[in-house]
Amino acid sequence: MKTRYLSTFQLILLALFAALIVVAKIALKLPLKLPGHSGVFWMAIIVVAAGVVPRRGAASLVGLTSGLLAAILGLGDFGALETFVSYLSVGLGTELALMLLGGADRALSGAVVGALGHVAKFVVKWATGALLGAPAGFVALGLARSLASYVIFGALGGLLGALTLAALRRAGFFAYIAEKR
Amino acid sequence: MTQRNRVLVAVGILVLVAAVILGLEALERRSTAGADVPAGSVPLYRDGKLVAALAPEDLEGLSPFSFIDAEEGKEQSGWLLRDVIGVHLDPDELDGAAVVRVSSSSREKEAVMTWHEVADPANAVMLDLANRGTLKLVSVMPSLDTRDEWVQDVDRVEVTGP
Repeated sequence: MKTRYLSTFQLILLALFAALIVVAKIALKLPLKLPGHSGVFWMAIIVVAAGVVPRRGAASLVGLTSGLLAAILGLGDFGALETFVSYLSVGLGTELALMLLGGADRALSGAVVGALGHVAKFVVKWATGALLGAPAGFVALGLARSLASYVIFGALGGLLGALTLAALRRAGFFAYIAEKR
Repeated sequence: MTQRNRVLVAVGILVLVAAVILGLEALERRSTAGADVPAGSVPLYRDGKLVAALAPEDLEGLSPFSFIDAEEGKEQSGWLLRDVIGVHLDPDELDGAAVVRVSSSSREKEAVMTWHEVADPANAVMLDLANRGTLKLVSVMPSLDTRDEWVQDVDRVEVTGP
């Protein structure tokens, strides 16, 4: 019998991670007035998702699914399409970073994957503004500050994801998952 | 390729992306340097005449203001529009019926209010600094209390009438 690329169990796991991203975006509020601070949750979840389902395309699928959910729920300031594309970009950015780094098992790799994935979202937001002819930032350093914030919070999220994966591995979660697959 | 080199390549990509974005932004600013309304500043008009180009230094002495938006429960913080306008126009000379129009050409959105509404702090008509570094108009007024109604990327403030 031909083996499917992703089992039903893995697809359900990825869908749950996608839903978790949207729930985290809505429910978890940090009292920080810093752009991109939700990346701490966001990138942690997506890095864990890609670690739990170690198949190429897993992060993209989570980005795609969470983007659809977020667009349907009306999240974001600039309409459904921008919301969908920005969520998808996180998945694609994370996917490319994982391909480059070969995984996010180590703390440093996780942080870099998180930073790259989150910056992909920043690029989409910036490009959307540029394409629509948005004015230059009111504060000259506003964009640099936002970008630095996205990198830092993305890296923190990726680091948190890598540490979570390490904890899951120590707890024997991956052996358990291998049986379920 | 070793893991160390992979990490270095990834960091290089991050630096390259940052350089491209910040470089393009700097070019945009340079292309309008010396103009009446420099890039990034927001022109303030009174009855069609340019009064000033609102710049970050105009906000430095103003008291910050904030509220929790009812839609998402997020804190919106910035400066009251009445205070921002008051930096360049005398509020005592503005009649309550004067019309204040805040618009964004890129978003094709605008909000039109009376000076009476803008001047009332209970309405919290405020300019908030968005993630992109641009200003967005937010408020708790029923006609302006949801994200769809806010004006993002504000690039013009106009006061007309008595």
